[in-house]
Amino acid sequence: MVWYIREFARAEWIKKFLFAKTAPLVTPSHFRGFPEPTGKTCQHALFCMMACPAPGAIEVVHAGDGWIPKIHKGHCIRCGLCVEACPNGVLKSGRIRETMEREGTSLLFSFRIAIDKDLCTGCGNCCTACPVNKQADAQMGAGGHSSNDDVIMRVQEGDIVVIHEDKCTGCKTCETSCPNGAIRIARILEGYQQPVQEGLQ
Amino acid sequence: MKRIVDVNIPLGPIHPCFKEPIRLKCEAKGERITGAEVELGYMKKGIERIMKGRPWQEVMFLAERVCGICSVIHNMVFIEAMEQISDIPVPPRAAYLRVIANELDRMQSHLLANFSYCYSIEHETLGMYLLDLREQVMDELERLTGARVTCAYIIPGGVRCDIPKKEAEALPASLDRIEGDLRRYAGMFEGGPMIALRSRGVGILTQEAAQRVHVVGPTARGSGIAVDCRTNHPTYQKLGFVPITRPDCDNFARVMLRFDEVFQSIALIRKCLAELPKGVVRGGGVCKAGETRYSGEAPRGELTYFIKSDEFGRIVEIQIQTPSIMNIEACCHEMIIGSDSIADVTATFISADPCVACTER
Repeated sequence: MVWYIREFARAEWIKKFLFAKTAPLVTPSHFRGFPEPTGKTCQHALFCMMACPAPGAIEVVHAGDGWIPKIHKGHCIRCGLCVEACPNGVLKSGRIRETMEREGTSLLFSFRIAIDKDLCTGCGNCCTACPVNKQADAQMGAGGHSSNDDVIMRVQEGDIVVIHEDKCTGCKTCETSCPNGAIRIARILEGYQQPVQEGLQ
Repeated sequence: MKRIVDVNIPLGPIHPCFKEPIRLKCEAKGERITGAEVELGYMKKGIERIMKGRPWQEVMFLAERVCGICSVIHNMVFIEAMEQISDIPVPPRAAYLRVIANELDRMQSHLLANFSYCYSIEHETLGMYLLDLREQVMDELERLTGARVTCAYIIPGGVRCDIPKKEAEALPASLDRIEGDLRRYAGMFEGGPMIALRSRGVGILTQEAAQRVHVVGPTARGSGIAVDCRTNHPTYQKLGFVPITRPDCDNFARVMLRFDEVFQSIALIRKCLAELPKGVVRGGGVCKAGETRYSGEAPRGELTYFIKSDEFGRIVEIQIQTPSIMNIEACCHEMIIGSDSIADVTATFISADPCVACTER
């Protein structure tokens, strides 16, 4: 009983009881919210779409004569990977962008094409669907045959052959066009930071 | 003459004291519990199946969403397992920052567990005090990582961002404030006569029984067994971590142990901040093929990830073993047997801090 009186007779408690005031609800500046455009021009690198872990949360769409990233808020999990992945600084979220600029952190992408030889029928759908192939060889026919050596992949003697894996932009168009699920694009992500000089921190 | 009949009392899956749906089927003689069975399966997500075939940048976010209360440790154990597979070194500064994020997460998890124990023994005032304190800890976590719950802070070869200079200076001050408040609340719990009536000598799990049923985490340490995976972690070894134990084996010991561990976490964070090495926070490194089994200490005990990845670092097979399942088993087969009232059943069950979301994944 004495303890209770002592507990509730404290000046701090009485002050709290009489003059309780909730601080206004404001979003703190460090909060990692939905990505927002910074106003820089989107270069259509599509790295935001490739880094996004949530299916269908971000897509780059036509806007007038340029491109803009569009966030679907119902799908977005606010992880901020798209902000880190964008090489042109189009998006921002919380303090991720300024932290990246200050610390020199970035995400490096590389793409690998994995083809399951047992599942592949050599139909050539992937070769004709690939947007990089289309640019390199506009004449490519439905079978995926090409005499052009600049294409990423082509069908040779009934088998698919990958020539320039380094040209792959990781768009996964081939994956969706493959009837057997034989081709898989691996998006390899690496966290990188430029070494900082001593004394800057 | 008073007749005592055997009754079967189901508790849950919807129950005001349980944070998550689970059913306890208690066999009672009058109000004395003679046996109990637990029924799981109300919130199976199948998250391990979703993880298969995905690279780390997607699985990392799924791993966090296994459990909302202890999300940082799931992220940490998964990423450190991937690092072990691919031999990725961690910069020392990043390793210390990981410990800071992990200990802040442990603090908020323990405070929530103690809130829910206070709530289940009907001491709502202390419960709300603790919940208020938890909010402050979560604010600190948000200042460090940018998000309160699903922080996504740890990536292979480092962490997402460095601790800003302003926050590094503000964190010790708020830790002081939290520690001061917590000391008062822990004193209230320790000295409260009503709390002692509901907690001391209730839900006994003797050391032999605890060893037999393989309990982990604070439940084991509350029974005097010094098991803690942090003793195997290189960064914690550098910080000179020693697990805390309590010999009392009852509900009171388990809850007080969590208070002790929050103080210990505060001390660890202070030590980290004082010793924080300079340098980069991301070392780079690509995930490769391999398989491994890696354990870390979650707030509830030992968390193990078994991972098999392919040559591009995608997950081929993944199995998660979470701590709560052992504690739930021990709880219903050892701790609540012989309880004198049904009210003690929920309190004992909550004192083992069951996390059903982890258990069922």
